[in-house]
Amino acid sequence: MKHFRRPTILIGAGLVGVWVLVALFAPLLAPFDPLKSLTPLASPGAPAPGGGTFWLGTDLLGRDILSRLIYGARPVVALSTLATLTAYTVGVSAGLLAGYYGRWIDTGLSFLANVILSFPVLVLYIVVIVALGPSPINVVIAVTFASAPAVFRIVRTIAADLKQRDFIAAAVIQGESAWRILFIEILPNATGPLTVDFCLRLGYTTIIIGALGFLGLGLPPPAPDWGGMVNEGRALAFAFPHLVIFPCLAISSLVLGLSLLADGLNEARDAQARGS
Amino acid sequence: MIKLTHALTGLGKRLGVMALTMLTVSLLVFLVLEVNVDEVAAKVLGQFSTAAQRHAWLLQNGYFDPVPIRYARWLWGFVTGNWGLSTYYHADVRDLILPRLAATGVLMGATLAVTIPLALGLGILAGMRQGSGVDRGVSVLAIVTTSIPEFASAVFLSAIFVFGLGWLPGVSTLSSGVTIKELVLPVTVLTLSSAGYIARMTRVSMVEVMASPYVRTARLKGASTLRIVFAHALRNALGAPVTVIMLQIPWLLSGVIVVEVFFAYPGFGTLLYQASVNSDIYLIEACAMIGVVAVVVSQLISDLINTWLNPRLVRAIRKAALQDPTVSVEASAG
Amino acid sequence: MSPKIMTPEPPILSVKSLSVALPAGADRPFAIHDISLDLRPAEILCVVGESGSGKSILSSTMMGALPRGLAIQSGDLTLSDKALGDIDLTALSERAWRTIRGRRIAMIPQEPMAALNPSAKVGRQIEEVFAIHGRLTPKTRPAEALRLIKEMHLPDPERIAASYPHQLSGGQCQRICIAMALALSPDVLIADEPTTALDVTSQAQVLKLICELRDIHRQAVLFITHDLGVVADIADRIAVMEKGRLVEVGTAEQILKHPRQPYTQALIAAVPSFEPKPRAPVPNAKPGHCLEVDGLSKTYGRTRALKPANLTVERATTLAVVGESGSGKSTLARLLVRLIEPSDGTAVVNGHDLARLRGTALRQARRRIQMIFQDPFGSLNPRRSVGGTIARAAELAGCTRQEAEARAKALLERVGLSASAYARRPAAFSGGQRQRVGIARALAMRPDVLIADESVSALDVSVQAQVLTLLRELQMELGLTIVFITHDLRVAAQISDRVAVMRSGEIVELADTASIILDPQHPYTRALIAAAPGRGAI
Repeated sequence: MKHFRRPTILIGAGLVGVWVLVALFAPLLAPFDPLKSLTPLASPGAPAPGGGTFWLGTDLLGRDILSRLIYGARPVVALSTLATLTAYTVGVSAGLLAGYYGRWIDTGLSFLANVILSFPVLVLYIVVIVALGPSPINVVIAVTFASAPAVFRIVRTIAADLKQRDFIAAAVIQGESAWRILFIEILPNATGPLTVDFCLRLGYTTIIIGALGFLGLGLPPPAPDWGGMVNEGRALAFAFPHLVIFPCLAISSLVLGLSLLADGLNEARDAQARGS
Repeated sequence: MIKLTHALTGLGKRLGVMALTMLTVSLLVFLVLEVNVDEVAAKVLGQFSTAAQRHAWLLQNGYFDPVPIRYARWLWGFVTGNWGLSTYYHADVRDLILPRLAATGVLMGATLAVTIPLALGLGILAGMRQGSGVDRGVSVLAIVTTSIPEFASAVFLSAIFVFGLGWLPGVSTLSSGVTIKELVLPVTVLTLSSAGYIARMTRVSMVEVMASPYVRTARLKGASTLRIVFAHALRNALGAPVTVIMLQIPWLLSGVIVVEVFFAYPGFGTLLYQASVNSDIYLIEACAMIGVVAVVVSQLISDLINTWLNPRLVRAIRKAALQDPTVSVEASAG
Repeated sequence: MSPKIMTPEPPILSVKSLSVALPAGADRPFAIHDISLDLRPAEILCVVGESGSGKSILSSTMMGALPRGLAIQSGDLTLSDKALGDIDLTALSERAWRTIRGRRIAMIPQEPMAALNPSAKVGRQIEEVFAIHGRLTPKTRPAEALRLIKEMHLPDPERIAASYPHQLSGGQCQRICIAMALALSPDVLIADEPTTALDVTSQAQVLKLICELRDIHRQAVLFITHDLGVVADIADRIAVMEKGRLVEVGTAEQILKHPRQPYTQALIAAVPSFEPKPRAPVPNAKPGHCLEVDGLSKTYGRTRALKPANLTVERATTLAVVGESGSGKSTLARLLVRLIEPSDGTAVVNGHDLARLRGTALRQARRRIQMIFQDPFGSLNPRRSVGGTIARAAELAGCTRQEAEARAKALLERVGLSASAYARRPAAFSGGQRQRVGIARALAMRPDVLIADESVSALDVSVQAQVLTLLRELQMELGLTIVFITHDLRVAAQISDRVAVMRSGEIVELADTASIILDPQHPYTRALIAAAPGRGAI
């Protein structure tokens, strides 16, 4: 346990925790209604009509940027998490089967995974979203589709390796059912690298969702979307940098937190394996 | 002689798998985009077209034929270079794509030319001096840079170099051909997003190799660190990074789209972006296929390089590089 | 290979009260403590010890290659040079060490194939030794490398020199490593477990080679090993280490025949003797065959891993299956427990043909034959408590949860661990203790037959003796039939009633233990016994 009290883990968990809390308690935290137009293009720190301060300024349509950032945390956190979880469900199940049984199942599933992985990620998203239309659910579907193969590959390799270990042989010799071998003997021994990957994948997903928003393929307006905010504010960024800087900082800090968490967990795991 | 035929059959097998992959990809792309004929008609003719117009158009273009026939026709068209007409640009898709591809090629090439030496160099240095300040510094730098999305680093860099210092242009439209000045920011943004991962992968591979028994043997023969690195470590450590670099190409192609749109660079990315915004189906299809071809070809090149580096270790290295994105090249979980 | 008579020459490498400290938080303060040894020319000094004795640290210290975090704390390490006098190795800079390593002191590694650069031809790796120390020219080096390869008794030196390590066998790789060590005629050779990873026949060749080096080149050889048989064959002098300290030092004769320290005595007593002991039959055993194998074979594509095998094992007896790697003994073991599917043949355990059954019938029949494995670290699920692992086996045999738990606790006691170990994870136990857990797990299903696949090969010799004793006790008590796979003829001699010798996928000889050991018929069996180290002395 002491290995886990590293600065990288603490800082990472802190950053992620802050954004999760912001997403959860958005209505309580946001000073203004994120959709309400007030004073257009106010500077950060300017006073609002009717009391309060636009701490981070307002955008082209007069909406408070801080409130939009706070509310914008919700779709980012929710969609990233949901998408990564579904990708994991699909990827882990397929990976376990392919890694353990090998042969045709492995060849077939691996081929399918490689086909999907042949798409540059954003190209895949664009294809899916153009076909299905932009909406939160479709974003989740697109992300799941694109992430599951990578998870599959990792789990498959781990499962194929663990299969060689003697304790799996012992389970087979005892007549243990394949189901239990996969989920009770093999999977718990993969949680280490999978936890690390989960954090990283959340980060990649967040970046992609941000990029989709930036390209205008994410949530439709007027929903507060960090990437979308950068896209909207781009034209005026020269004169009004606050329009784009703050959403970029928001998304970067969240992903940074996830990356630090992943890195810290990985190192802690290594240290634990060495020390014990 | 036996080795040559062995290598050729290996190559043949890989090409076969490539072809099969492309076929499956084409099927997926076609099904996803063209299976719903009404949608296709609406997108091609525009929102304001009437039902009658759409029906007539669909009939005329053979959209009421069974799906397999349509797919075969489409595939044939693709293979023979007939990529359809862009609804937005009203031009031949092929004529649109090729010059854009060239421009993106320049951008990618410049990026790789900068990223690869930088990332490999930093990774090797960090791996040689494991645990030192250099090592920690490289790791932290890598984590931070890969955490910033491309559009965000584009924003930050523009704020400094375009708005703040005014050294570089804010857009890179290549209006007077390719210039270095216009390439600097896009290439920097792309380098920032990919170099970190490659550097860390290289570092891990280097650390593993430096801790290996044969490096120990070299040390016990009296070899200096320099000799160990150049004569022993590099050849064995570079297998994983090469794989990683090739794996980064799909990721780079995604980043290229964002960067091109941000800097208005007239490349493949902006074309695809315009196509997606305008639901320009045929253009999207062609771009998607091209994108996949690029990825598949880069995978093939990666395999070939690996085989040249060390035939026996190919499988082990590839396995290690692919399985764990957190850069820990370990083979077991327990 | 008889021990040479000691010549009273001055030592070439002298160790005096050497201590190497471990970093804080380790289980003891010193890796090695107060070690004093002398290495003389034309002499083989064997350093013997079990795991954790510090012998590898000693060899690393002598090459100036201590791992990070460890440092020489006190004592002297002196190398005698005719021209330069005595060199104090403890005070040497890294730069100076580079002139010593490979040139005055050279190392022969433990895992020969891993110790060679996988992407360079071995000839070039030998030439590198000259290049590093600035000897010869790029034109003359290849010829010298070839000469060294010839001296290692390797046939077809040109082909070997142009090969990559993975194209050679373990024994050949080791001889290349020896050639590399020999290249500059160093005064001292340090061999750190050089034959542990080799087959018995390769081992014999390498040992012979090392003795030649002593005789022809008059090198001082420090030979580190845990194998007392090897020690008996080649040592002139022996140093015994335990937990970082030197227990005893003396001539081979003194240590082997008249050990003075209790640890040394116990160590020598634990080595299984080559003399087959008469074995008492197990009481109340029903006569008849427990295991009958008929035409069992396994083919992978074009490779015949196991040619059709026939054997029978009497109830409550032990059959040892002996062979080198690639002999097919592991394949046989895995076929017997139906871990892999047979290509042909039957394996009948008390009337149930395990090779042919399926589904529920197979699952039920599996209870009759269980396995204990070689690697104590890989044979238990690291995420599960040891008690849980054993109890699960009992559940699969038909027990309820409570019954299984009770059985698991009872078994833990029976194998020499306490019932309180139930909830602990494998990481908390030593290798020997984990093997006991493995035995308990196998017994939880109350099998008729126990297959032991190299189950003591990874254990220290004293722990090995305990585990073998435990198995014998269990056999007497439960009437177990045991098939013991091993490469170690001594173990086979001590624990089995009959021995099957395997080679290249077939059983070449099958007879009772005494006949195999004392009067082997097949030439391969004879060669195997002749190659076994230390036959005369231990």
